[in-house]
Amino acid sequence: MTDTDNMDDLAAEYVLGTLDANERANVAFRRQRDPGLAAAIEAWEARLAPLNGQIAPVAPSPLLKDKIVERIRQAESASVVPSNVIDLQHRVARWRSAALGASALAACLAGFIVVRETLKPVAPKSYVAVLQKDAQSPAFLMTVDIAARSFTVRPVAAEPNAGKSYELWLVNTKLGGPKSLGIVGDKPFSTNPKLATFTPGDIEDATYAVSVEPEGGSPTGLPTGPVVYAGKLVQTKP
Amino acid sequence: MISTVPNLVALLAGTASKDAAAFGHLYDATSAKLYGIVLRILRRRDLADEVLQEVYVKVWERAADFDPARSSPITWMATIARNRALDEIRKRVPVSIEDAPEALNVASSDPPPLQALELSQDVKRLNACLDRLEPQRKQLVIEAYLQGASREELSQRFGHPVATIKTWLHRSLAQLKACLSP
Repeated sequence: MTDTDNMDDLAAEYVLGTLDANERANVAFRRQRDPGLAAAIEAWEARLAPLNGQIAPVAPSPLLKDKIVERIRQAESASVVPSNVIDLQHRVARWRSAALGASALAACLAGFIVVRETLKPVAPKSYVAVLQKDAQSPAFLMTVDIAARSFTVRPVAAEPNAGKSYELWLVNTKLGGPKSLGIVGDKPFSTNPKLATFTPGDIEDATYAVSVEPEGGSPTGLPTGPVVYAGKLVQTKP
Repeated sequence: MISTVPNLVALLAGTASKDAAAFGHLYDATSAKLYGIVLRILRRRDLADEVLQEVYVKVWERAADFDPARSSPITWMATIARNRALDEIRKRVPVSIEDAPEALNVASSDPPPLQALELSQDVKRLNACLDRLEPQRKQLVIEAYLQGASREELSQRFGHPVATIKTWLHRSLAQLKACLSP
């Protein structure tokens, strides 16, 4: 089977809807960078769209339209300083106090989170993403506590990359370009306070991708190297 | 309805320029269709309500991306709705059909009579090509698309291992592609 066949199978199954959450996330991410895949997906959308004609329309609740208009109004009027910044400031203050007793880690903000993670009881709503190239090769395991907006990434089988760093990105079209969540894979557990700057909804819907960057991370703030692993969050506990 | 089909292309163009009235008409003209699509996949009204809201917010935000040369307005919007519904259902622990059998009653596998009259060339062509598949594989493709069934669910329903389902899907889709190519 050639790569083109493979790509077309993938595009076809993506449109048909039979891929699992991680495979879907992978395809959704790759199509942004791979015009061949994007074109294959569009072609399959057009081929299968007539099937939608078999679905009878169902009128939604009349309340929904107002809710949508309200959501749009809120999104449009959202200022640069949303209320969650204040929330974030509270969080930072809390991390600081938590870290006072851990002098060895106090210099490093990432350490603040580690302390917080170990002190924290079991997360009430917990998500996991397997960041992988394909179903056979998971590379990183990402666990996310949506309520606390914190995450931990541990390498499972990421190939070491001498002189390079793996950088984790949160990708959500609502937010424009990919947002860096820092370097992963250089230690047994990685985390980063930046996740707390996103809303729970944006965290939940995002795709998480790992790119290969120069040592220390992307110099531009956007991915500069190839995206080697990606995945989407799956809820593990209700 | 047939004589007053709103011009969805114009309404999408209006939406792209942030015309709230155009967006309102677009919603009125398309929401029942999109709701039918997401409800069929999600099988729960609460989930479908949430997804439909997100879909229309996305339509509002991304209307400028719509290109009439590349797809029809309803296909473009249905694709957004399907993708959002599929992402949502795949995030969740699979729900058994037995949990919500009434949800399946909202859509029969036969097109409603009014729509049957409007069947376009595309629909006829796809149906003809689906009919050339073995009956079970035709059913496999249709259930996957309309109900958002995963390979695992299809494996249980059709009583074959996941690997077999995957092979059947790939072969059936390749056959469809060949049949549909000009």
